[in-house]
Amino acid sequence: MHRSEPIVRTENLWKIYRTGRVEVPALRGVNLEIYPGEFVAIMGPSGCGKSTLLYVIGGLTPPTRGRVLLDGNDLASMDDGARTRLRRHKVGFVFQRFNLLPTLDARGNIAIAQYIHGNGYDPHRFEVVTRLLGLTDRLHHRPAELSGGEQQRVAIARAIINEPRLLLADEPTGSLDSQSSAIVLEMLRELNRQLGQTIVLITHNPEAAALADRILHMRDGVVVDGVPAD
Amino acid sequence: MTGKLVLGNLTRRPLRTAATAVAVAVEVSLILLVVGLTQGMVREVAKRIEGVGADILVQPPSSSVLLAFSGAPMPASLGQRLAALEGVRAVAPVLVQPNTSHGLDLIYGIDPQSFDAVSDGFVFHEGHGLRQPDDVLVDDWYARARHLHAGQTLRLLDHDFHIAGVVEHGKGARIFVRLDRLQELTGARDRVSLFFVRCQRPELTPTVMEKIRSLLPRHQIRPVRQYLSLMTATSLPGLDVFVRSMIGLGVAVGFLVIFLAMYTAIVERRREIAILKSLGASRAYIAGAFLVEALSIAAAGLGVGLGLSYALRGLILYLFPTLSIEIAPPWVLRAAALAVLAAALGSAYPAWLASRKDPLEALACE
Repeated sequence: MHRSEPIVRTENLWKIYRTGRVEVPALRGVNLEIYPGEFVAIMGPSGCGKSTLLYVIGGLTPPTRGRVLLDGNDLASMDDGARTRLRRHKVGFVFQRFNLLPTLDARGNIAIAQYIHGNGYDPHRFEVVTRLLGLTDRLHHRPAELSGGEQQRVAIARAIINEPRLLLADEPTGSLDSQSSAIVLEMLRELNRQLGQTIVLITHNPEAAALADRILHMRDGVVVDGVPAD
Repeated sequence: MTGKLVLGNLTRRPLRTAATAVAVAVEVSLILLVVGLTQGMVREVAKRIEGVGADILVQPPSSSVLLAFSGAPMPASLGQRLAALEGVRAVAPVLVQPNTSHGLDLIYGIDPQSFDAVSDGFVFHEGHGLRQPDDVLVDDWYARARHLHAGQTLRLLDHDFHIAGVVEHGKGARIFVRLDRLQELTGARDRVSLFFVRCQRPELTPTVMEKIRSLLPRHQIRPVRQYLSLMTATSLPGLDVFVRSMIGLGVAVGFLVIFLAMYTAIVERRREIAILKSLGASRAYIAGAFLVEALSIAAAGLGVGLGLSYALRGLILYLFPTLSIEIAPPWVLRAAALAVLAAALGSAYPAWLASRKDPLEALACE
């Protein structure tokens, strides 16, 4: 039983991709709620709509039908500019392929999120986050000079540097070896426990999902069940 | 931070950045050299006309301000009527003949006595004046360019002339022969192209001009001081079109190269654009980053272009000493503005396109 308002609520959420005259429904009426401080894992087979759900929740793409409330803001009624502003202030993304900017070093990749956020460089917050993620010795290296695990930690640092209300992680360990995966997952877990960071994690890996408070299963564009993780 | 991002993107593809900057440099150099050459040549010719020392220039009706385009439609005897006017000190008839044997030069056919009376005579570096029918005078620039000295033979208009002297430049033309010999060689017996009129005092110029107008109402009668202001590249119809065409060509080159460079950059950086969008970067931020990148290339190209222009100017003047190239500060500013404009226009559409890229397209490729 949750006392607070959900940070994410979707109501009959549809997302249909159109390629010419062909319509491909990726989400077919998703209903879910995610509460502040929760660590939720979403599992399901490839093509079931997990990533699309993440991108719609994060405001990267508008829904076709239905409602998505992010911290009380209805994304379906927002234009691209409003969704961009909301994303800037309330959402952090972590991707499977790290998605760091190759021309900036680790410091630049993290700091650019602060500049885009609009408050400029905050050295204190920067110090806290990079120390928490064990990056203080690797800040002057470019992505190509970092291991996969280090790149993903930089990506996590970038995602949380502005203290977003919601961290969306799309297969963050999908490109990592088992040792690096364990480190990254542990860090996500610690972020959730220590800082109360709300996290939605998409994964194929049951061991990764087991770290979450709750696991949602998706199939054919709908959430088929939601069970607490062991 | 945007600066770091732009710098990183510029150095990521150094060859593309350098090639684009060089294209902008070519654009700037093309503008500066074409304008500089036309302005320089035209103004140098005007200064030489002014340097004759006359107060009034009399030309036939409907004649061009460019003396090279003048024929020889006036009777030489008209000079006696002009000389008889009150306030006139001296009149020098001149037959102008273009010479294309070594580039384009003007040959003045002059009557040495009357020309000296108007111009106060030549300053000689070598030799003496026009004494024999086949004597020729060349100015010091022409002599230096052709390695000529007094006593040598110079072939002009399919005729061998004897170089009688080398004179200081700045008295109308670079080559002077006797009027009667030039009339004979060009089949313009007793005809001249223009008259230089010198007044007894410069302040009499307007009065004398009025008298000449009464005598020759349809002729072109200009004060020589006005000539300098008339002789600009933009006031000469054909030259103006040529200069504008070359400027347009330069701007088009800059526009297209910047456009292609930025367009390919956007295709190449779909993922980076998507990353910035996922971080909450606005369309203006993304478009701005691309514009700043294009303008940075333009600025680099502008710097290289300025250096290139001065280097090419030096080389051209070394190879062709009789030419004059005037790289004037106002045109440097205009060339800079045109380069920036071409870069801004060339990058506007790619930047707009980048700002509207769907991040999902790139991120979904994972």
